[in-house]
Amino acid sequence: MPKNLIFKRRSEDEDIKASGMYLDFDEMGKKGVMSSADSSIAKWYGIYKSRQPGQHMARIVIPGGVVTSEQAKNIAAVSEKYGQGIINVTTRQALQFHWLKVPNLADVMRELFEYGNSTRHGCGDVTRNVTACPLAETCPAARINARKWARKTADVLGAQRDLDDLPRKFKINYSGCRADCAQPHINCVGLSGVVYKGQPGFKVVIGGGMGWKPFVAQPLFGFIPEASAVDVCRAVALLFREHGDRFNRAKSRLKFVVHRNGIDFCRDVVLQNLLSEGKSQEGFVVEDIDDEGTSYEERPLLQDTPKGTDGLFTVRVIIPKGELPFRKFYELAKLSEQYGDQRLYTSNRQNLEMHGVESRDVSNLKFAIHNLGFETDGSFSLRDIVTCVGTTYCPKAVTETRVLFDRIHRLVSRDTYRGILSSGIINITGCPNSCSPYRIADIGFRGMRIREEEGSVEGYEVLLGGSQTSFGEKLGEFKLCDCEEVVTLVLDAFMMVRRDDEFLTRCVQRVGIEYFRRAVYGEV
Amino acid sequence: MARFKYNKAAKPLESTVETGIGTSALDLKTIAKAIPCQEACPAKTNVPAYIEAIARGEDDKAYRINQEDNIFPGVLGRICTRVCEDACRHKWTNVEGPVQICHLKRYAADNIKEKQSAMPPWFGPTGKKIMVIGAGPAGLSAARDLSRMGHQVTVVEKAPAPGGMLVDGIPAFRLPRDIVSAEIALIEQGGVEIRTDVHVTQTMVDDYCNAYDAVLLAAGTTVTNSIAIPGAEDRQISGLDFMRGYNRGEVTAVRGNVVVVGGGFTAVDCARAARRVGEKDALVSIAYRRTEASMAADKNEFQAMAEEEIAIRTLLSPLRFELNDRGAGTLVLQRNLVADGTLGVKAKIVPLEGSEVRIPCDTLIVAIGQKRDESLLPFGVDSEEDGKTSKPGLFVSGDFKGGSADVISAVASGKNVARLMDEYLMGKRRLMRGVKYEVTDCDGETGRYRDHDIQFPLPMPMAPVAQRFENNAEVETGFTQLIAQNAAARCYLCHYKFEIDQDKCIHCNWCIEASPRDCIKKAARIFYDADGFPTKVFEAERNQDATYIYIDNDECIRCGKCLRVCPTEAIRMRKLEAGDCVKCDD
Ligand SMILES: Cc1cc2nc3c(=O)[nH]c(=O)nc-3n(C[C@H](O)[C@H](O)[C@H](O)COP(=O)(O)OP(=O)(O)OC[C@H]3O[C@@H](n4cnc5c(N)ncnc54)[C@H](O)[C@@H]3O)c2cc1C
Ligand code: HEM
Ligand code: SF4
Ligand code: SF4
Ligand code: SF4
Ligand code: SF4
Repeated sequence: MPKNLIFKRRSEDEDIKASGMYLDFDEMGKKGVMSSADSSIAKWYGIYKSRQPGQHMARIVIPGGVVTSEQAKNIAAVSEKYGQGIINVTTRQALQFHWLKVPNLADVMRELFEYGNSTRHGCGDVTRNVTACPLAETCPAARINARKWARKTADVLGAQRDLDDLPRKFKINYSGCRADCAQPHINCVGLSGVVYKGQPGFKVVIGGGMGWKPFVAQPLFGFIPEASAVDVCRAVALLFREHGDRFNRAKSRLKFVVHRNGIDFCRDVVLQNLLSEGKSQEGFVVEDIDDEGTSYEERPLLQDTPKGTDGLFTVRVIIPKGELPFRKFYELAKLSEQYGDQRLYTSNRQNLEMHGVESRDVSNLKFAIHNLGFETDGSFSLRDIVTCVGTTYCPKAVTETRVLFDRIHRLVSRDTYRGILSSGIINITGCPNSCSPYRIADIGFRGMRIREEEGSVEGYEVLLGGSQTSFGEKLGEFKLCDCEEVVTLVLDAFMMVRRDDEFLTRCVQRVGIEYFRRAVYGEV
Repeated sequence: MARFKYNKAAKPLESTVETGIGTSALDLKTIAKAIPCQEACPAKTNVPAYIEAIARGEDDKAYRINQEDNIFPGVLGRICTRVCEDACRHKWTNVEGPVQICHLKRYAADNIKEKQSAMPPWFGPTGKKIMVIGAGPAGLSAARDLSRMGHQVTVVEKAPAPGGMLVDGIPAFRLPRDIVSAEIALIEQGGVEIRTDVHVTQTMVDDYCNAYDAVLLAAGTTVTNSIAIPGAEDRQISGLDFMRGYNRGEVTAVRGNVVVVGGGFTAVDCARAARRVGEKDALVSIAYRRTEASMAADKNEFQAMAEEEIAIRTLLSPLRFELNDRGAGTLVLQRNLVADGTLGVKAKIVPLEGSEVRIPCDTLIVAIGQKRDESLLPFGVDSEEDGKTSKPGLFVSGDFKGGSADVISAVASGKNVARLMDEYLMGKRRLMRGVKYEVTDCDGETGRYRDHDIQFPLPMPMAPVAQRFENNAEVETGFTQLIAQNAAARCYLCHYKFEIDQDKCIHCNWCIEASPRDCIKKAARIFYDADGFPTKVFEAERNQDATYIYIDNDECIRCGKCLRVCPTEAIRMRKLEAGDCVKCDD
């Protein structure tokens, strides 16, 4: 019989979602296989397919980026029992581990749940892990405790069943001030603490995102009172639910809704959504406002061992490639019990932090951390490289990002560059999905293959001078074997023109990309 | 020397221009590969464009697109031999058979909502006068196009009505006459003058050659072939004469049992016509020396013949005719065998000596083909290559030129000769065949999905047998819109071409992962012919051996998935349209 003849049809993923979103992991475990339709739905449960056939990843949702030491130990134990005991810290402050097999998935989730750890909504077309700037509670610049609102938003939105089937993923984050450590401009919704007329509240931007088509978020409100934060997030989610593209998944995300319809349209819909649900709009200001709070640094995360407003210190654990064995993770949890506030904090540099450390304990703690093989200083420096997993696990990856990590890490660790270590960050991503946001880094690498006379080789598109609000400019495309030489040429050229403590990005903006192109390619 | 400037393999190019019109051999080869049905159609009908219009409910537009290439959409939508369908991509990408291109053509023609008008001229008046002899499909096609080129065209026709075999050969139950006359009226509206009842002779051809700037002989094949069947010397009727008589209402009855010898269009039509005017309960048989695969009838017609109780006897050649004392006749035939290892249209037959088959026969119709009336050709014409004869200004086309074929070949022949004549008259080629390229920005949404491939093609509805015999009613009754859109949705819309810009591609292979079939390949090397057209692709297994990620047009079903998934926007979809373009530069 004739099938339907609709000329434009919703995507296959939408069909799969419409045919039911419940998965019985125990039954699936008995069969031992996950169908491809099942694996689309498994994302809602935080389960993703790995590059290796038959292997899966579980992503543990960590709202606000904080776990208790007990939860951390639980995660370490489960990762060891069912996976290969390797834990990854992600740029959106979640934790994940690989090498899980279908028969164990139900037990993995059950055992994690024992300690309140959950993978639910780790992936899928829902509100994803709500993130916050890592220093949140005690940052001297913070106008508001970002973590508190991140967790609240996660709780409220996560419980609203009418937000379970969004057109695509939906990412929210909170920063305590407009230093924007949580990267609001590359998220669907970004809220940054401000003070206006003596009132704490948030500036709200929406529609940012990386992926294959990057957009900088646009200002939705200059100010909303803090109490309205969750309502506004929901109102934006509803805007997304109704206006997101359900035909072409590649263009589903909120960033396309905002780009296509304009921010004014979106604002009208958001206000309408608030109105129809009887939520207050009192005190909302559309235009940018003058923030009355104290001053803040351009890159607060650069500080080693920052001192909080409570007089206690934060000690950082720099995790190379964001990856560490379960045993070390377990030991770090123990250290937080001994020296910190019995919690581990995740950061969007894929690092861990311990908060609440007494000044007298700082050096002991650092010593203990160094003993585990981790550095504690140099956060947000050239050596604090963020790389995605690349071809090690990711089915989408084009390049083996970790090889480049090793080479660049070794290179920037040279004495020559000691003086410019804090001048920038480097992000490496293995494909245009930009799981490591390469466009906002001072130096960004995006994996690709470069065609040769015959065959092709791994290479990278290199961008210079990115920031959250203005993406990097293209330096060129280089084969992997040339990348170290290129970085050397760039850094040497930078050192020749750098003014004072200038960041690389500022320098690129000042002298122009052409200067660096000439330095790299030689005279043209 | 600049650093980091890498040497890369050249980009494969499949067209000479990005957008706009390309007329080189490369462009023509590219479109030939991309749209196999259009390439197969002798008249080069823009099939996907009109099918897309039907799928979108734009029937008038679909008709207009057809008319551009073909003066007889309504006619051909009924009786075309459908070479396009044999070439359709569905023949190798699924098992449900080709798109019903021909039935769709008819659907559009039958469902025009607005009154149609003549096609607009390409050029202003040239002052040249042309005489066309024969108002069959070839003559009329040439006439219309010559008139669109600005020439003054007159057509002379022996018969009382124009149309050639469309009215003298093909019976009305397959092709209602109002369809023919409506489409001929559009040609006349365009300025072509048709004079009927003019019997042209050789001397008149000579006179025309003197009086006109150019003359086209498109007189078809009217001299029937005959075979000597002992005993039937004075009682065999030629199939063509029978059909002409039937069509003009002159033959209203046939006596007793009928045997039609032959297997071509005429034979089949004779049998079906005989059934309609014959005696009740008489036997009507077709006796053909080859197999059914070689007969000029499609699946529907075989079905119709079965319903009309026409016996089809194959592998039989007539030996003699016998008459018994009561006046009842019998045709005696010899069996043929198919040589081992041969099948279908190409089957070889060998007579089985000594065998005999007897079929009751009171009326014997012999329809074994016809040839042209050689006497029409002026003395001294010794070559007719491509339709241009050795006599300056005299051209030939259609069945007259190449022997009995089919209507679409006649239409194509007329189109082609019109261009030759124009070149002869104007001293240069004014119309070029070219390919128009257009970059689309619809995200690869062709409107079709993989799902559309699982739709079963529905059969052409046919009138019940009882109704068929009243008023010579048309047997095939045509698609409803639902059936038509259903059939149209199957078409892959091959005029959309997906291509990868090799300088943007980063070899992520996502398109390959997303693709529904083996349409995107990792290519180590691509080989080209002298025109730059890719002839061969060496596939690579491993990423490092892949020089290109390459879309194989032969396998692409236009789902658009690759384009939507490509993260670097390296894939684009261009719309290709082949047609006549006015050549501006000299
Ligand atoms: C019974 C039958 C059924 C057919 N069925 C099909 C079919 O289903 N599908 C298909 O594709 N093809 C079919 N054909 C074949 C098809 O009709 C011909 O191939 C096609 O019509 C050829 O077109 P033409 O213009 O070259 O010649 P014709 O159609 O033969 O036209 C030639 C014209 O020239 C005229 N003419 C001839 N001599 C003179 C003269 N001396 N003076 C003036 N005018 C003259 C004739 O009267 C005729 O009108 C069929 C043919 C027959 C006979
Ligand atoms: C294991 C396989 C993985 C797959 C298949 C995958 C897939 C994707 C996809 C498809 C996107 C693009 C989203 C879009 O713009 O529409 C994306 C973005 C992203 N991914 Fe991953 N990812 C993987 C692993 C990871 C890991 C390990 C991390 C963290 C370390 C991560 C963090 C992110 C982030 C931060 C983004 C950017 C989000 C944005 O565009 O706003 N991903 N990923
Ligand atoms: S005219 Fe005939 S050959 Fe041409 S496209 Fe139509 S059915 Fe096919
Ligand atoms: S699928 Fe459509 S366009 Fe392609 S060959 Fe068949 S009829 Fe022609
Ligand atoms: S559109 Fe792309 S994915 Fe779809 S069949 Fe064609 S080449 Fe394959
Ligand atoms: S998806 Fe795009 S970039 Fe990736 S291999 Fe295909 S054409 Fe190349």
